[in-house]
Amino acid sequence: MKFQKPDTIISSSLHCICAGFIAGTLAGCTLVLLVMLLSAPAGATAMDDMTADDMHRIENPAAVRQGTLLFKGEQDFSVAPILKTDVQINVTGMIARAIVKQHFRNPDTTWKEGVYVFPLPEDAAVDHLRMHIGQRVIEGQIQERQQARKAYEQARSEGKKASLIEQERPNIFTTSVANVGPHEEIVIEIEYQHVVQYDTGSFRLRFPMVVAPRYIPGRPVAPKEITVNTFEGTGWAIDTDQVRDASRITPPVLHPDQGKINPVNIEVHLDTGFSLQHITSSYHNIDIKQESETGYRLTLENNTHADRDFELVWKPEPDKQPRAAFFSEHKNGKQYGLIMMLPPEQTRGEVLNREVIFVIDTSGSMSGTSIMQAKAGLELALAELKPGDRFNIIQFNSYTELLFQVPQPVTHQSLRQAKNYVRNLQAQGGTEMATALQAALKQTSEHTGVRQVIFLTDGSIGNEDALFRIIRQQLGNSRLFTVGIGSAPNSHFMSRAAEFGQGTYTYIGKVEEVQEKMQILFDKLQHPVLTDIRTTWGDDLAVEAWPQKIPDLYLGEPLLISLEAEALPENLHISGMVSNSDWHSAMKLQGGKEQTGISVLWARKKIAALMDQLNSRTEQDEVRRMIIDTAMAHHLVSKFTSLVAIDVTPARVREEILKSQSMPVNLPAGWEYEKVFGQLPQTATDAELYLIRGMLLLITGLLLAVFSRRYTRRYAFTV
Amino acid sequence: MPLRFKKLIVFCLLVVLLLSGVWQIGTGSYIHAKAILAQILLETAWSETLKGHKEVKPWPWADTWPVCRLTVPRLGISRIVLAGASGSSLAFGPGHLFGSAASGEYGNTVIAGHRDTHFKFLQELKTGDAIEMQTSQGINIPYRISEIRVIHESETHYLDRIDANILTLITCYPFNAIRAGGPMRYIVIAKQLQPKII
Repeated sequence: MKFQKPDTIISSSLHCICAGFIAGTLAGCTLVLLVMLLSAPAGATAMDDMTADDMHRIENPAAVRQGTLLFKGEQDFSVAPILKTDVQINVTGMIARAIVKQHFRNPDTTWKEGVYVFPLPEDAAVDHLRMHIGQRVIEGQIQERQQARKAYEQARSEGKKASLIEQERPNIFTTSVANVGPHEEIVIEIEYQHVVQYDTGSFRLRFPMVVAPRYIPGRPVAPKEITVNTFEGTGWAIDTDQVRDASRITPPVLHPDQGKINPVNIEVHLDTGFSLQHITSSYHNIDIKQESETGYRLTLENNTHADRDFELVWKPEPDKQPRAAFFSEHKNGKQYGLIMMLPPEQTRGEVLNREVIFVIDTSGSMSGTSIMQAKAGLELALAELKPGDRFNIIQFNSYTELLFQVPQPVTHQSLRQAKNYVRNLQAQGGTEMATALQAALKQTSEHTGVRQVIFLTDGSIGNEDALFRIIRQQLGNSRLFTVGIGSAPNSHFMSRAAEFGQGTYTYIGKVEEVQEKMQILFDKLQHPVLTDIRTTWGDDLAVEAWPQKIPDLYLGEPLLISLEAEALPENLHISGMVSNSDWHSAMKLQGGKEQTGISVLWARKKIAALMDQLNSRTEQDEVRRMIIDTAMAHHLVSKFTSLVAIDVTPARVREEILKSQSMPVNLPAGWEYEKVFGQLPQTATDAELYLIRGMLLLITGLLLAVFSRRYTRRYAFTV
Repeated sequence: MPLRFKKLIVFCLLVVLLLSGVWQIGTGSYIHAKAILAQILLETAWSETLKGHKEVKPWPWADTWPVCRLTVPRLGISRIVLAGASGSSLAFGPGHLFGSAASGEYGNTVIAGHRDTHFKFLQELKTGDAIEMQTSQGINIPYRISEIRVIHESETHYLDRIDANILTLITCYPFNAIRAGGPMRYIVIAKQLQPKII
């Protein structure tokens, strides 16, 4: 071996390092040029055989850049009243009457007002409010919304204990309770009633527990733009031009790190009137006790917090399956009725040459368990496609993106592309649903057959009415099927969107349910639909029945009609169309079971129908008046009527200050806080780290080179 | 032969060290090169934007577009700001946060940038420094820095809509940290100097 001087070794190694550094930098720059000039975008290269042209992004800049989660200032929850909820639900046959007790306890030494935004089933008819102060009970009165608020605000400033129940959406209500004294507890008792859902042989009772954070599209409106009739809410969002009451439907959300709040107890007394095959709670552990042949008492396990929907499902014995039911009530000189009828099952008809548009919500609120459920559901639906069908996938968050420019025929190739696309979906960003809905309903091919839009979302948006308008105006010959995803879906959006879309809605609350629930949906999609349903009562009787336009019925769905009449009709004739042929049926309305609350259900149905007309009809004031009249007559909370309860004696002297607190809520189970509320952007790269690491490696190389030379040299001398 | 064997090991080790060193330095300089090159490409897109074209994509597959230009005369700094502050757009330039006031619009305009590339200059800014923002209509809006502070990433109220015309610049802190992903942010708030004419 040739002898080398140490400095030569070092200099040659230095050369080596310099060369390495230059080579690295050059490699990096070359890579930049290569990537920028030759390759496709990173998102697309990740997919096996997808080119950039395969995906089509629709941008709606005006909408996209404005809507997001716009915050108001920070709040201190440490001194807000502490909440606990007790729920008792009595189910008789198909009707559920529930009492919800909200306990507001003031942990502080100052006087408090608590404002709590909470959910109820979307068809809940709220007809009672009772305020419990110690042993005393004050019954709430129904008043027009502005009037009730004025009365409440006056009582609040006079130091009287007062409470107010307002409706923000059919499934979102606000309880306000004023002048809760230091370390005092006030209990607000709310009573409501609704019809248990009966579908595909099972009965379902849903009790939502938390209003999920809603995405608020639109530009903020300055406070001066708000008319005197509105009043600012206490939520985290700012009112926008698209969601005028955003601040009223966005209760502050506690960060999950701070633990769960709002414990809930639920007790259900179930008397179905028929023997049951099984009874299950879908998402909670419950304790079941059989009290009689058809009666059960169910209680929720302790330590449950309000962070997801509660659902109870029961299934009658196969031969006890009710096919028709009639309930009646005589009230204030009028007769009320509720009719349920299950049309005979049609034989499965293979639906051929469908065009199926899948729409999947990939916004931040879907992040976590929801997107997994949605992806699993979508994958099953893709597997159901038949040769001859055409399909497309649309995802939306802040943007809307189409997998294919136009729906593609089902082939191995297109299905594989679709599966890859679904697998790579990620949930983040806003929920600009309108553009996605428009893209889904838009006819892009000359397809004339059945067109089905399957819409998977949690519906966490605040602009429901605007979306319903799009569905009504642009539906064409498409049918919209909503699939509600996650632990706390927006049930009002799911059910109404499906109704306007002449389809059905399905809920998936956990991954284990995906298979079963999607199968029910597939069965509905492949059986003939009963359409153009009309009712006649005979004998020229004056019958006011709701809904006036009966929605199409899919497999396993019952017909539900509420009616009011001077005298109950004896017969009901129903006609409709199924598979292009006429269908007739008749039902005797005698010997109906007398039950209280049937009138309330009728009034609630009527209000729901009138609320729809508010959006479409020109005589808005007249419709509004009708809603108020109906609500007042039946003591019901509506968008325009509220329940207010006021104590007569002032409790707080004027000198003492009253502090208003909005009650925080939990983040729904399975959600990711940061994906919804965001965080300050991550603004650093690892460039420095890479450079230092690279230098260290090269220096280690240098040392090694020097060391090994020395070693070799010494070795050479000894030889 | 022990000597040959040892030599072989040393040689292999050297090759591995050299290659991984080259790879690491390559990756590091790739990030910087991308940041510099993108701003050059963005200049063209920006001049197109100023001519009245909307949402000019700087390269065909870009998912972002330039929305305004920031200049700091004292430091001779000029940066073209992109729409959106996602990781992919921040690699090419500072990003304007969706949902914050658009450039030239009333409210709080929030722009984020990488502390080691485009927004490295933030550490040299001082209260009272002038910043100019050129909107896509070509209007220059002058701002003056009123506040500089270090905050935690959870303090999202700095993104809030507020009732004033301000510009909020965000980058990660500390500037010389080696690893990305720290929880601290460096925030520069500048107030608009005169009501703009639009």
